[in-house]
Amino acid sequence: MTVPGTLLPPRGRWRRRPRVPGPSWRVKLRRDRSLLLMTVPALALVVAFNYLPMFGTVTAFQYYDYITGFLASPWAGLDNFSTLFADPTFWRAFENTLVLSLVQLVLYFPVPIALALLLNSVLSTKVRATIQAITYLPHFFGWVVVVTLFQEMLGGAGVLNHTLRQQGLSPWNIMANPDTFKYLVTAQAVWKEAGWGIIVFLAAIAAIDPSLYESAAVDGASRWGRMWHITLPGMRGVIVLLLVLRLGNALSIGFEQFLIQRYAVGSSSAEVLDTYAYYYGVVGNNYGLGAAAGLFKGVVSLVLILGANKLAHLFGEDGLYRSER
Amino acid sequence: MGSDSAALDRRSFLRATLLGAGAAAVGTPLLASCSSSSTANGKANSTAGLKATLPDYVPLTAGPKPDLPIVTGAAGASVDPGYLSYPTDLVATVAKVPGSGGTYTAITPLWGPIPAAGNPYYQAVNKALGASLTMKPASGNDYAQTVPTLVAGGKLPEWLQIPTWWNGNLNVGELVTSKFADLTPYLAGAKIRAYPNLAAIPTGGWQAGAWNDRLYGIPSFTSGSNFAAILYYRKDLFEAKGIDPASVKDADSLLALGKELTSASSNVWAFDVVWLMIQQMFGVPPTGNAVTLTDGKAASAFDAPQLEAALEYAYKVAKSGYVHPDALANNTSQGKQRFYSGHVLVTADGPGAWNGPDAIEGRTANAPYVRGAFPVFAHDGGTPTIPLGNSAALMSYLNKSLSDAQIKECLALADYLAAPFGSKEYTLVNYGVEGTDWTRGATGPTYTTQGTKEANQQTYQFLVSGQNAVTNPGYDDVTKAKYAWTADAAKHAYQPAFWNLNVNTPARFASTSTATQVNDIIKEVTYGTKTVAEFKAAAANWKSSGGQALIDWYQKSVVDTAASGTGK
Repeated sequence: MTVPGTLLPPRGRWRRRPRVPGPSWRVKLRRDRSLLLMTVPALALVVAFNYLPMFGTVTAFQYYDYITGFLASPWAGLDNFSTLFADPTFWRAFENTLVLSLVQLVLYFPVPIALALLLNSVLSTKVRATIQAITYLPHFFGWVVVVTLFQEMLGGAGVLNHTLRQQGLSPWNIMANPDTFKYLVTAQAVWKEAGWGIIVFLAAIAAIDPSLYESAAVDGASRWGRMWHITLPGMRGVIVLLLVLRLGNALSIGFEQFLIQRYAVGSSSAEVLDTYAYYYGVVGNNYGLGAAAGLFKGVVSLVLILGANKLAHLFGEDGLYRSER
Repeated sequence: MGSDSAALDRRSFLRATLLGAGAAAVGTPLLASCSSSSTANGKANSTAGLKATLPDYVPLTAGPKPDLPIVTGAAGASVDPGYLSYPTDLVATVAKVPGSGGTYTAITPLWGPIPAAGNPYYQAVNKALGASLTMKPASGNDYAQTVPTLVAGGKLPEWLQIPTWWNGNLNVGELVTSKFADLTPYLAGAKIRAYPNLAAIPTGGWQAGAWNDRLYGIPSFTSGSNFAAILYYRKDLFEAKGIDPASVKDADSLLALGKELTSASSNVWAFDVVWLMIQQMFGVPPTGNAVTLTDGKAASAFDAPQLEAALEYAYKVAKSGYVHPDALANNTSQGKQRFYSGHVLVTADGPGAWNGPDAIEGRTANAPYVRGAFPVFAHDGGTPTIPLGNSAALMSYLNKSLSDAQIKECLALADYLAAPFGSKEYTLVNYGVEGTDWTRGATGPTYTTQGTKEANQQTYQFLVSGQNAVTNPGYDDVTKAKYAWTADAAKHAYQPAFWNLNVNTPARFASTSTATQVNDIIKEVTYGTKTVAEFKAAAANWKSSGGQALIDWYQKSVVDTAASGTGK
């Protein structure tokens, strides 16, 4: 790919490696056929549950009536979107979603990494296994259980406030405080999911070549130095991959957790895009509007995930897939 | 069933009642909103049209005499009959096997554990019916999502139940005309006399299932005294503290009682969320349709001055510190436990909460437990009023694709299932097989463990059942107290605007009549998370962004056409 008449690569693309012609697709197919076959079941699931339902987004452009169905529902053009964008409640939900996502990115995302590093430094396998089991366990609880548990501990009639009242102190009802709600839900998310999140990072650590640590130790690297220069760089690929996925999912902050706590703190702080689509789409018998909200969310998420992936490539990481460059 | 004969009294159904009442109060329109190309202009039942289609009411003469008779109150309210003992000589109300071997599937909501398919109870009932009526109960909590899935997927069963509190959300007005059988040719006027047990269902139940002046729905638990809620208190604890419930005569004295009862440091709060009864105290016109009648004219239900006053009071209560913090955190599932354990002393709940199983559960948690109810009172201490709810909250429909003979067979099955209290058929449908599902005790039938799992769940009863009756074998004090409360409330009953009227609203108003945003803010005000000013802004916004058009449509198509329930 040189500019004709010169030996220089084209402007702005000089960083690219010259393309070596790869094997033809026939050869690739023969080489990878067993791998491809193995992906078929997963692919079928994705088609059935992710791609086929996408045709449902047509309802975003209809006054959808579930009784007459897609085919007979009248077309709405972009009406649902103009209603959506004119609704301050929607923008409030959008803002809440972004803020919560940001708070969780800062306060939640590093927790499993830190935990994995800590756990990795524990030598006794028994202690490690016990800690891991205890921290995973909440992952298997439903949100109803988690929220009830928090309510029992920190709620207005919970253990904390009961103790405060008995000591003659004024109660502190964090479960019903809209201002601190974002930290509350992040704390709940950390408690429920951080232990589960460790698994991937531990796997990444396990994949690091132990000889690196040995030679570093021989060269006199401290524990801190080894972590900083060997463990963290070794995990970097996985961290970036998960970060990209997380950004792509930034607008899917959760549903049940917010639905359950909606009235405790009020919709002004607890409404997120998914609960908005549920209340105003499904409950409010306005499927078109709900679908429009969902489609909007999908498009923004796509932009986010592509952007984050691009950023990862710029930093020389693989991101979701290896850049061809 | 073992309690007030009605499902309305089963614990599993409480949530449903609450949901219904809640829907009436804060959530969704009980009647409204639908459309299709065929009914794009919408329609409401007219007084004249109903007169021509409603079936005759022919009370049964056989069967036990109630110990507590039906009494009528104001505005056509009537108190359900009460029975203190279960009769031993059961009468047969259906002479021959009703079915002719047909095969049908029925889907009903169920708030409780789903019984195993093909269990001995189902087999026994099907044998008695002479048909294969396969019951497929679906979780009541997800039912509002189940119905659209069945419809959109073209998987409607032969017989489907849809609670009327979802009429608006599910566009039932449109659904009936496009998917369900018109029963008018089979049941109108004297034709219903071919089915004596169906004919003994009071007319109000049929009216609640009529759309566009035609009969579609088959009602369950028809009652002339369906009230949204009752203000309950812990009678045992009030007596121990020497508090006379009669001293609470108005809104201020209720709040004063809240102060007296609350002791947060010992984990006792006066109230749960009592918005349902605050609406009654302030005489708030039901907001279910989003439209009400003011001086005979259609008007926004959200503009009613009573609603604003009630919300101001509710907000004050929410902020008073007398409401249990878990209740304000919308933890409704623990509501009963809070009341049983004495952490909450005053609560608002559906009439269905007051029955034998409640007494059993309450006493298990707290031995001296007794549930009491405040007589209805007005916020200013004046003459109280209480709005009547529709005569039936549960309605089942037959599939349009059934043939004439199949519809007749299903109606014959319905006739069997609608047999009244004290009959052989009623006992089989509600208790199952003697010896397997229940045994006869001194006070009446008692379920066996197997019977509790199978017969004590509401399945066939949710398709159709006879006139509601109050009975709690072994807990006659509960039956008597509830009967007395209802008789008192019935004296103060009134029919709110559009009472027992199904309005088929055009599609363009679907989301306007649901008014999700305003109803949501109303709920938030009662939890103290939004202010009355925010509610007023939302109400004004609703009116300007489609609400006024809906009001105009009501005036033109419902009020001016002198639909039933408009007082014309």
